[in-house]
Amino acid sequence: MRKTIKAAALLGVAALTLAACSSGSGGSTSSPSAGGGSTAPSPTETGPVTLTMHWWGDQEAPGAKKWLDAAITAYQTAHPNITIKETLETTDGLIPNFEAAAAAKTPLDIQYFWGGIYAQQPYWKGNTAAISDLLPADELAHYTNAKMEDSYQGKIVSAPWYVNPSFPVLVNKDLLSKNGLTVPMTWADFLKTCDTLSAKGIPTIAGGVKDGWFGGWLYSILGAQSVTSQKQVLDAVVGNAKFTDPALGDWWMRLEESQKHKCWNADINSQELYQAQQMFVDQKAAMTVTAGPDAPNFAKKAGGPDKIEVMAMPAWSNGPLAGKIASSSQTLGIPSWSEHKAEAADFIKFLHTPEQLQAWYDMTGSLPADDRFNLSQVTDPIKKSLFAGGTDNVPYMENFIPAQLDSDAVFKNVQLVLKGTETGAAAAADMQAQMERLRTTDRELVTNFTNWASGQ
Amino acid sequence: MTDASVTTARGPVPSGSRHTSRRPGPWHAAVWIAPAAFVIVFVFAYAIYQLVVQSFKYQGKWTGWDNFRIVLTDPLFLTALKHNMELLLCVPVLIAIALLLAIVLSETVRGHSFFRGVLFFPYILPVTVVGVVLGQLLTLNGPVNTALNGLGLGKLAADWLGDPNIALWTMGAVIVWKEVGFGIVLFLARILSLPTETYEAAALDGAGFWRKHWSITLPQMTGVIAFYAVTEAIVMVSWVFNYVYIMTNGQGGPGDSTVVTELYIYRSAFQDQQIELAAAAAVILFLITLFLVIIFFRLQRKSLLAVVGE
Repeated sequence: MRKTIKAAALLGVAALTLAACSSGSGGSTSSPSAGGGSTAPSPTETGPVTLTMHWWGDQEAPGAKKWLDAAITAYQTAHPNITIKETLETTDGLIPNFEAAAAAKTPLDIQYFWGGIYAQQPYWKGNTAAISDLLPADELAHYTNAKMEDSYQGKIVSAPWYVNPSFPVLVNKDLLSKNGLTVPMTWADFLKTCDTLSAKGIPTIAGGVKDGWFGGWLYSILGAQSVTSQKQVLDAVVGNAKFTDPALGDWWMRLEESQKHKCWNADINSQELYQAQQMFVDQKAAMTVTAGPDAPNFAKKAGGPDKIEVMAMPAWSNGPLAGKIASSSQTLGIPSWSEHKAEAADFIKFLHTPEQLQAWYDMTGSLPADDRFNLSQVTDPIKKSLFAGGTDNVPYMENFIPAQLDSDAVFKNVQLVLKGTETGAAAAADMQAQMERLRTTDRELVTNFTNWASGQ
Repeated sequence: MTDASVTTARGPVPSGSRHTSRRPGPWHAAVWIAPAAFVIVFVFAYAIYQLVVQSFKYQGKWTGWDNFRIVLTDPLFLTALKHNMELLLCVPVLIAIALLLAIVLSETVRGHSFFRGVLFFPYILPVTVVGVVLGQLLTLNGPVNTALNGLGLGKLAADWLGDPNIALWTMGAVIVWKEVGFGIVLFLARILSLPTETYEAAALDGAGFWRKHWSITLPQMTGVIAFYAVTEAIVMVSWVFNYVYIMTNGQGGPGDSTVVTELYIYRSAFQDQQIELAAAAAVILFLITLFLVIIFFRLQRKSLLAVVGE
């Protein structure tokens, strides 16, 4: 009987949650402008104001929490009537928790979004206000990648916070030289490295795809190599090109090659992204891919600049983006139902003051998303190499496909190809099939992506 | 029952006495049921009503059966449903293991309570703990495979959760391990309530262990076995989300190999922001579960009538 009650309770809770969401979404409109219909920032209120902020990022930019706590204290000192409450989200919880908050209209004033599609989709659904309606254009002009990733029909939908050079490959030069190898710069060299090291039982490159996210990284660092711009990817999304076209689909064959040459750790499917990277720190793998903001710390843990080299994924194509580290900015957005939009925008602007930009760099070692940051002070070769990529305007392709395509096609097929149970060609075909299906299930997708592509 | 009196546990009650005249009317039952009915109507009924309404809409506009058509033609939903059906195969396995262990426990003289406690222990563990711990134990280079290799059974080592061909069955095995304790306790309670005389007579006639339980125990346990089968079937159809979510980081991977209907609903609603499709899928799952609940109540009624008959 307990089980029946439990089952009934589960259904009840699911029904309640979906009902809550339905009432929330029912009131929303398909017009993106609904979210951006806010007025220009008004003077800061004088009465007591509590801002609620949900964010993510401490795991890819260690020190971010310490910095944010200090920034909040400084802001509250300057604005005694304002209190800021912050909650650090998990990776898996970031999007679902925002969706739930949007459905229930839970008090929320500042929300963290990954750049590109992750910042666009909430705006398209009317769940965020355009930041360009709240901050002046001359301020936003300084925010790195705002135009490339976060603009939609002339508006900037979310404010870049810090840059995520996406994604650097870290190479253990010592381990390679001990095995008579040098740093592979081309795909052919990379596969030869794999052959040599796998014969000795050493994985060339460590990764974990159990939680899916690394699949998206691989799509970007391999898939971007043969396209000319993000517009080409957006065209495939709306149906003007196909993900099976050589420029958009050949990267799956390269992934299959890497599996056949035993480049990866054998347990890649049962390891999580961050879990597997530890193999590199432990000198058990020659290479790994890591989050850009964390790369300097990570390289330091693995031996520092003398031992570790930071580079782009070895090039397999002659495309203009091959051999380059892409740039993406993680952002802060303002929910459309926030009652304190002007105050929230003012706090975001405060985070871009010279003192805060400097403090961010000092505490995290990563690059703030603002061209007013003084880059000349950076002398560390690893950071210089990363920051050069971070300011190069190379698009990060995962941010230009629908998030659902990422999880339903990229995450899934990367797991299968790396396990050796699916070919690259089948994976490309499945990605195209998923995209075609998505155009019918998400009935606003083509319009939204067409509008987005028109501004690129 | 034509006698002028009825017998209760406290003794005979004369027909037409003050006790009978004070017998509560139907309204009395309604009063007792009212609080629960209130909760059901205002908590569940409203939510389910909203869910059904939402499943026929898209962005507030009535779209008829569109959402159901989209969901029912979605290969991922059909795969998820198929996985739930495949997990139903765990039910006979659960029954067989629980029955065997309950019988062995009922015959165990020493350490009876200890063994019962050990076998019931997994059932009281939170699914999150089970998922995290077993997820780690079952990695390719995890302790389970290390132990198998150490014992010279390396051929049995596998990528339990990383191989799409076996990941669902690994999940099924974890669910069986976790759920079997409930069956053991249920079956043991029934076995211990069976009259001992029949067993003594059978023993005198020379019946062995298997004969005794095959011919005496099993026939008297059909009611409780049916109850357990239906409740576990409900678990397999609509209560495995936690296992899949924890052990695959919400992915249902590798590939789609462990996606189940609940995960499909969760992903549609909270990751893909397709609330209406999630609502349609939830209605379908609700109907399937309702079907199982109706079977359960029918079996329960049948069992109760059988007990009254005894």
